[in-house]
Amino acid sequence: MDAVNPLRRLRSVSAAEPPEDGLTACMQRAGRGDHGAVAQLYDELSAMVFGIVRRVVRDPARTEEITQEVFVEMWRLAPRYDRSRGSVRSWVSTIAHRRAVDTVRSDQSARDRDQREAARQPVDHDEVAEGVIDRFDQDRVKRALGTLTEGQREAIELAYYGGHTYREVAVLLDCAEGTVKTRIRDGLIHLRDEMGVTA
Amino acid sequence: MNDDLHHLAAAYALDALSVDERRAFEAHYPGCDICSSEVDDYRAVAGELARATAEEPPPALFGQVIAQIENTRQVSAIEESNDVSGPRRAIPGWGYGVLAAAAALLLVVVGVVAINGTSDDSPTDEFAAILAQPDAELASLAGEGTGSLTVVWSPSQGRLGVSGEGVAAVDDGRTYELWLLDDTGARPAGLFRPDESGRVVLVTDLEGQPGGWGVTIEPESGSPQPTGDILFAAEV
Repeated sequence: MDAVNPLRRLRSVSAAEPPEDGLTACMQRAGRGDHGAVAQLYDELSAMVFGIVRRVVRDPARTEEITQEVFVEMWRLAPRYDRSRGSVRSWVSTIAHRRAVDTVRSDQSARDRDQREAARQPVDHDEVAEGVIDRFDQDRVKRALGTLTEGQREAIELAYYGGHTYREVAVLLDCAEGTVKTRIRDGLIHLRDEMGVTA
Repeated sequence: MNDDLHHLAAAYALDALSVDERRAFEAHYPGCDICSSEVDDYRAVAGELARATAEEPPPALFGQVIAQIENTRQVSAIEESNDVSGPRRAIPGWGYGVLAAAAALLLVVVGVVAINGTSDDSPTDEFAAILAQPDAELASLAGEGTGSLTVVWSPSQGRLGVSGEGVAAVDDGRTYELWLLDDTGARPAGLFRPDESGRVVLVTDLEGQPGGWGVTIEPESGSPQPTGDILFAAEV
């Protein structure tokens, strides 16, 4: 076991790391109660939040409600945001995705949704073309997803964009649960390396 | 069992676990360096996946968000612990900082921290899971009662934990009852009895938004409203 006290190690990491981007500074201001900072964060992040919630939840009215809830939650928790655990984008997208998934999981017709989902291509260009505003990001991700095996890509798309548990994915793809877990993990590691993502 | 939990890290980061698995993993990973750093990495990838589906929301949404945050209270900031002689295991949580010294002490009482840094004890893991939530709150209860009681809770996780030390025993056929205090009054929040050494450990669902906590002694299956004197209390 690491002999260095983990509390001390965590402190020195965050002390050495100055805010790298405007978003971090913005979130810190929001954490101190600055409403104007929230407006800036909304400006920067609302399309990402709205888009991923929409992709998972589908229903436009629910998507608006959940998007609002995400920003309120971000505001509520902002005093505890810690850069050493992840970027602002990563944190806010995590809140958004979790809320979207929790919404659809409690949906009574989830089973029906699964049936519809199984038949369609998860990242559907035609459907999102109208509102997608950031071609660069979309292309970058699409290219990276293209470097995965088909099994890894399908598993990740069904889990993340489809909002399915890995068990549901196993049913949809007709393969073992352990296989799905492995594909998700290997696929994410590959995407991380391919896109040069750091936490 | 811990080996199986490691393999859930990637699926967890994509929110692809069932409710039970998510709960089990959240009890495990804050104390596991490997899983914690894996989850951070996978979440960063997921953040990139989210960017790819970005779509402008309707303009009216902005005003609604701003209006609502003006009526929303923020959580308190977590202070960094200066206690380097305290628990050897950091509880970094779902993104956030380091526990205040009070919360770190709580975990020692509950027995989360063992010399080898692992714990198989389920209630104590659940305690760590509550404290690991980004919106975890803690309240120390005080009053005429003997002993010390601490309540921890997380609205987002919907769970609460009670920890106690040196708490006086209750007669047979009686129990301590925890009350969640809010605008409507007192709501039953859980029952507990100390063990022979006066320790209390309770983990249960959180129902409601606490404005305060109270503890009374009641008949052993609890009461719908407090009948005894309030022995411990705290304002939130």
